[in-house]
Amino acid sequence: MSIETHDLPSASSGHTVESLTTWLVDRVAIYLQRDPAEIDPSEPLAEYGMDSVAALSLCGDVEEDFDLVLEPTVAWDYPTAAALAEHLAGELKAAGKS
Amino acid sequence: MLSEATAADRPGTALLDQEADASARATEIEFGFGDPYDPDNPVGNARLLEADEAAEISAEGERMLDELKLNADFVPREFGGRLDRLDTLVRVMRQVFRRDVTLGLGYGATSFMAAVNVWTVGSEEQKRELAELLLAGGKASVAYHELAHGNDFVRNEFEARPVDGGGFRLDGGKQVINNADRAEALALFSRTSTAPGSRSHSVLLLRRDQLDPKRFKTLPRYTAVGVRGCHLSGLEFDDCPVPGSALVGGLGQGVELALRSFQITRSAVPGMAIGTGDASLRTAVRFAVGRQLYRRSVMEIPHAKATLSAAFLDLLICDAMSLAGTRAVHLLPEETSVYASAVKYLVPKVLSEAMYELSIVLGARFYVRDGEFGIFQKHVRDLPVLSLGHAGSAACQATIIPQLSRLAKRAWFAGEPAPAELFQPRAPLGPIPFDRLTLASGRDGLSASLIAAVDELPSGSPVERALHGFALRMMDELRQMQEEALDLSPQDRTALASPASFALADRYTVLLAAASVLGVWREARGGSDEFLADPSWAATALYRLARRLGQKLPDLPDSCAERVHDEVLRRFHEHRSYDLYDSPLTA
Repeated sequence: MSIETHDLPSASSGHTVESLTTWLVDRVAIYLQRDPAEIDPSEPLAEYGMDSVAALSLCGDVEEDFDLVLEPTVAWDYPTAAALAEHLAGELKAAGKS
Repeated sequence: MLSEATAADRPGTALLDQEADASARATEIEFGFGDPYDPDNPVGNARLLEADEAAEISAEGERMLDELKLNADFVPREFGGRLDRLDTLVRVMRQVFRRDVTLGLGYGATSFMAAVNVWTVGSEEQKRELAELLLAGGKASVAYHELAHGNDFVRNEFEARPVDGGGFRLDGGKQVINNADRAEALALFSRTSTAPGSRSHSVLLLRRDQLDPKRFKTLPRYTAVGVRGCHLSGLEFDDCPVPGSALVGGLGQGVELALRSFQITRSAVPGMAIGTGDASLRTAVRFAVGRQLYRRSVMEIPHAKATLSAAFLDLLICDAMSLAGTRAVHLLPEETSVYASAVKYLVPKVLSEAMYELSIVLGARFYVRDGEFGIFQKHVRDLPVLSLGHAGSAACQATIIPQLSRLAKRAWFAGEPAPAELFQPRAPLGPIPFDRLTLASGRDGLSASLIAAVDELPSGSPVERALHGFALRMMDELRQMQEEALDLSPQDRTALASPASFALADRYTVLLAAASVLGVWREARGGSDEFLADPSWAATALYRLARRLGQKLPDLPDSCAERVHDEVLRRFHEHRSYDLYDSPLTA
């Protein structure tokens, strides 16, 4: 099933490290059933109980919302929301999507 | 040696070579064990039962497997062994598991599970050294498990602290490790960083004789319900130094390596236990043919007859799935993360359920620990270890769950069907592409093959029409799963997902089993194996799988049951295996 392009954030939506951090924190909060305010973007997500299964699901969400295919290990190599956001911003830029 | 290129360039020759080798090797192991019913056979059922009662692994069995150099089957051909195909390894090991799960695991599969870590990312030197050790008859043990953390192994605490100037200091314990007390090589999953997360563990490969004996000890053996002769113990280290060269792959890559090498072992080990199911069915058939009740043999009692046929079909279902799973490692390595977990989840489950049904036919004999049918209760006790060891059923479902929505979105009803070779038990394959296994997949050629087949299935005979109907229902089932998978909430895509997610993963594995059965039958059509070419078994197998999904189905034509029953009897009287290979047995 192909993803229709109009479902995707537009190329002009201008993802920044800040906006991506917010997106990630919100998303992780849903996985962990916590308040986003409880999640410090500079703390390892594993500290909050983010397991490897959820990390895999998170990669699927990135793929869905940003049309960016990630290796599941990305969430391991960039273990905080801030680090992951920075990495995502770079990937999006490289793919011409920011 | 067969390289990928030669297998592709000269398929005819490769097919003959690989198939002839595999079949000869399986027969050699099977006949090495001799007649299981001969009371004087040192590795016959009576002696294997004695060893089990004494909680010992059969010394005669180990000696015999040493002589047959079974360890060579775990070593890739390029390092001097016989391993080139995973489905062949399963076929060979099935002969051991037909006799004794304790020998299958305690002599064999454990070493293979350890070695896979090294074959996957080890250095040339580590590979060569381990190959040498195994080919000389040594054993390797693999220590992932810590009782406190179960399958949540990212939380493991056993520590290998990197020290300045290279090397590690080992501290802590590993529990319930097969052969921990006697293996010459140990693969240890160890915490190499105190940080939380999935980059804090590494796999180390150690030689027992290089460890300071004052700084480690073997823990007492565990007693278990089954595989009582297996040496399940543990290890405890106290600030024990090991060289930096022990590291397998990169520092911090332990979790990744585990998830990749698990794909190989999860694909392979369950299919080995089809041998145990075969022996159990054979025991029940022996009983049913020989015992008279109500002035007829048990075999003539409709319920008993149907139960035995059903068990045979379950073995064929398991073997079709095991075949697709192991061949996928070669042919669809990028998709294997899901299939391996599906095989590891469903095959032991179906086998255990079949054993339970068979125990009803055996009646009180099932409860007797010795004599002609005593081996049955041993198999019943031994088999569940397959669902427990090294990846529990729930852990396998948890690997599938986060991938469901991705598959639903991208793969189902969209992707390319799997190549025909996925379903051909005797077709050649290139080497195992250890480096191409990935942690997640966005494709599903196995289910796509079922969807593609639906339009091409014949519908000439009543059995073919029934089969076609069941395949259509399976397709509907996938559509429903797709809707449900797309609706999964984020929480339902974690290890703490609701039971509904686990149920969805369960149904998906059943669908993959159905796709495997259909694939195997389609490829067997027109072939030399008349039974596999006949749609009766495939229709009945799909019927059983659809029932497992809770579907209400129209009855099958009566001829299906007769065809399957005749085959159960033929293979019993002619001593042929109850799997896809129909291979010769001693008894």
